[in-house]
Amino acid sequence: MEFLDLLMLGFGEALTPTNLGFCLLGALLGTLIGVLPGIGPTATIAVLLPITFYLPPLAGIIMLAGIYYGAQYGGSTTAILVNLPGEASSVVTAIDGYRMAQKGKAGSALAVAALGSFFAGTVATFGVAIAGPMLSSFALSFGPAEYVSLMIFGLLAATVLARGPVLKAIGMILFGLLLGMVGIDASSGEERLTFNAIELFDGIDFVVIAIGVFGFTEIIENLENVEGRGVLVSKLSRLWPTREDFRQAWPAVLRGTGVGTFLGILPGGGATLSSFCAYSLEKKVSRTPEEFGQGAVAGVAGPEAANNAGAQSSFIPLLTLGIPSNNMMAMMLSAFIIHGITPGPTVLQTQPQIFWGLVASMWIGNLMLVVINLPMIGIWVKLLTVPYRLLYPAILLFCCVGVYSINNRIFDVVLAAGFGFLGYLFRKAKCEPGPLLLGFVLGPLLETNLRRAMVLSDGSPSVFFERPISLVLLVATAAMFILMVLPSFRKTREVAFREEEA
Amino acid sequence: MAAPRKAGGTGDRPDLLTAILFVGFGALGLWAGRDLTMGTAAAMGPGYLPRLVCWLLILVGLVVGGIGLFRAREDIAFPQLRPLLVILLAVVGFAFIAEYFGFVAASISLLVIGSLADRESRWREVILLTAGLTAFGALVFIVGLGVQMPIWPF
Amino acid sequence: MKHLIRNTALATSMLVSIGAAHAEWPTDRPIEMIVAFAPGGGTDVMHRTLAPYIEKELGAKITILNRPGASGEIAYTAMTQAKPDGYTLSSLNTPGFLTMQMDRKVRFDPKKVCLVARIVEDPGSFIVQAKSQFNSLKDLVAYAKANPGKVSVGTTGLGTDEHLALLQLEKSAGIDLTPVTFNGANEARTALLGGHIMAMGINVGEFVGSEKSAFKALGQFADQRAVIAPDLPTAKEQGFDVIMSSERGIAMNCDVPEAIRTKYSDAVKKAVDNPEFQEKAKQQSLPLSYRSSEEWNKELPARAERLGEVWKLVKEQK
Repeated sequence: MEFLDLLMLGFGEALTPTNLGFCLLGALLGTLIGVLPGIGPTATIAVLLPITFYLPPLAGIIMLAGIYYGAQYGGSTTAILVNLPGEASSVVTAIDGYRMAQKGKAGSALAVAALGSFFAGTVATFGVAIAGPMLSSFALSFGPAEYVSLMIFGLLAATVLARGPVLKAIGMILFGLLLGMVGIDASSGEERLTFNAIELFDGIDFVVIAIGVFGFTEIIENLENVEGRGVLVSKLSRLWPTREDFRQAWPAVLRGTGVGTFLGILPGGGATLSSFCAYSLEKKVSRTPEEFGQGAVAGVAGPEAANNAGAQSSFIPLLTLGIPSNNMMAMMLSAFIIHGITPGPTVLQTQPQIFWGLVASMWIGNLMLVVINLPMIGIWVKLLTVPYRLLYPAILLFCCVGVYSINNRIFDVVLAAGFGFLGYLFRKAKCEPGPLLLGFVLGPLLETNLRRAMVLSDGSPSVFFERPISLVLLVATAAMFILMVLPSFRKTREVAFREEEA
Repeated sequence: MAAPRKAGGTGDRPDLLTAILFVGFGALGLWAGRDLTMGTAAAMGPGYLPRLVCWLLILVGLVVGGIGLFRAREDIAFPQLRPLLVILLAVVGFAFIAEYFGFVAASISLLVIGSLADRESRWREVILLTAGLTAFGALVFIVGLGVQMPIWPF
Repeated sequence: MKHLIRNTALATSMLVSIGAAHAEWPTDRPIEMIVAFAPGGGTDVMHRTLAPYIEKELGAKITILNRPGASGEIAYTAMTQAKPDGYTLSSLNTPGFLTMQMDRKVRFDPKKVCLVARIVEDPGSFIVQAKSQFNSLKDLVAYAKANPGKVSVGTTGLGTDEHLALLQLEKSAGIDLTPVTFNGANEARTALLGGHIMAMGINVGEFVGSEKSAFKALGQFADQRAVIAPDLPTAKEQGFDVIMSSERGIAMNCDVPEAIRTKYSDAVKKAVDNPEFQEKAKQQSLPLSYRSSEEWNKELPARAERLGEVWKLVKEQK
């Protein structure tokens, strides 16, 4: 069979000592920067890009890819242990993961995250190999109208993330949307909400807000509550997930993998959407939705599987069409171009070893990550026994360096401190920061696509109902909205809210 | 975050704070974007969506606040100023010192000032921790990961 | 790993530099090259590729510092505020550098920005899907005449190179096109491939490297055909007065002694001529087009004037 031959070719390439070595190096580096809050894979890959000049093309690309998915593994570690999501995709992991850690189940959460990610990575890698070209043509059928409907669906789904009342969640989403509008508006070239600060012309960086409202706020909050501070609210129970944990996790992993693989191929917000769509889905299908936000295993397993699957499948449009679906992939494209290779159908035919070698190495890299990460869990959990007075200065330093390194300027650090204060006020007001971040990430996508769709349709909103994919998404949004206002559903939300207060 | 409940009275303080924040930021957004053109649906101007979002935010704020007024009284624990101010100050200090005096000076100031936020800090630990983390940070971030920041002040 | 070594070297050389306070430029400390765009982008990769060859010519160390933001204004501001001792340079890109001065007051003094060397001139172009009915700008213009407003063209925003080219074409051919804004060429390319827009503006250098089976170019907006696209007719050849290209080069503070600027300009020339660099430039499809400090300074006013004319069209649209 041709497919098997190609796969063998790929493994042959990926298993050479050089490529294996660079795969390991990338995975290790990725884990490291994933664990260090603030320093993201985009910045790291950008810095390492010139070095790949001196490597063989495949080795360089394998290493960069390793950094990317390695960071996905590492990122969930800080989200679970110290409630600090380094990237949009781990915002969701922090919700239930951190609660699990507070209940002494950090080891279990980390193990579920690692195993779920590995399973999802495996499935998605083979998805890339088998269905890549077919999936990418589906992704192309998403035009401005489809995106608008998808974003509206996503934003409504984001309200499910919050533990508090729906209205506050909606308010936080709106505030996030507003923050996302800061900067020069490309279509008109006008400054918006920048207060004449040149540093805001390109908008606010995600990391600035995330470090502010999660990182700094959490530290201040913990220092304020001398008794219940840090993560160790209760005793560490055990390192390994129980049989019951596994039973709850595996269907969630399956569903998360599906959601992630599917949404990951969509250019733009696909990979970001996938983790919290998975979370919403888990909460919807769960028989005990009130456990979500209180440390539900499925609330960690689903999104973790989804974001890893999404990370893998976002390679599909790049490798099959030569189109990068997000900043990371744009960076990967640069890495290809530096070596004079332009990914796309032609390369697939003329240099199959590049495509298949990368696909095979992604699977090997995922395997390495599990092997690296599982024994590390013990060490990470030990970290939680370090007294908080020794732990928080380290977090503080990593956050500061991370924020500074985005654009190498003071402004971002000061702004992050400002968001730290704002996040503190929101805590006092009992507003969850999760929806704010998602509104912030999805807002610009919603606006640009809405404006594009309206320009193309000459101002007629019927375009959203005439296109089938868009219509399906809108119907799904309406159905979800009805579910939310239905009394029974409202009741379960109330229950969850009350329990938290008690 | 156990909020103390006092018998009697109405007004959910966290909800009222939420209302102030939402309405305040909505109004700030409207003011900052007062010069932006609205445009039409076919050619939306830069002010179209910001204005819409601001009004919605104000509306949500008013509803949350309105309901909060009639709910049972719930107070916000009085904020402790020490951690709040010290941490924010240490972070801002880090930024300026890093720019002009390099990583080592910035890291030391951040960690020493930051330690003041916690009453439990012990000086010996702070010194050891500062030395260790500064060396680690310089090696891993600046030398290893290539963060563009000078190490020394000169 | 090379990075690691280089940084250690840098740290050591910094230590040494306190001893020898006033050695001869440029060897007593590293030269800081401020790149106005994020790492990994076209401008950044170009400067990072070229830097080692300039280092070789000067016998100096060059460190790249990224200060992205506000299409370069942040970098130009940083460069003009640094001490004018020849140790701080910045990247300079047109038309961004020129257009930002037209609409508003910029935060640096443009008189302090002196051109040192141009490295690349990349003409603009319009591309369509490979299976499109259009084969030249003429086809596109004819269709647009018959269907006013029906031709949608992706750009990366108002006042960008693609948008300015679009305005010139509209005026020159007397047609009405619909510009659709995207956040970067990659997004626009996706939309074009999906058939959501009919054409898009993109620089020849960015296009030549991309997949041939998916897109075709309709013409280039250069005075003369670029070296990397000798078979693509210019707009002028097709009868439309559209000229739009982006240049990438290096600038220094004008207070830096002229001798130093000239020395640097010459070093860039030698670096660009290095066959090893030429090979790398070819791989990255960089349309190399060196101009010395003097030549570039002479050419720029004419370019600025023409841009000023085009900019009036933008104003009209507002």
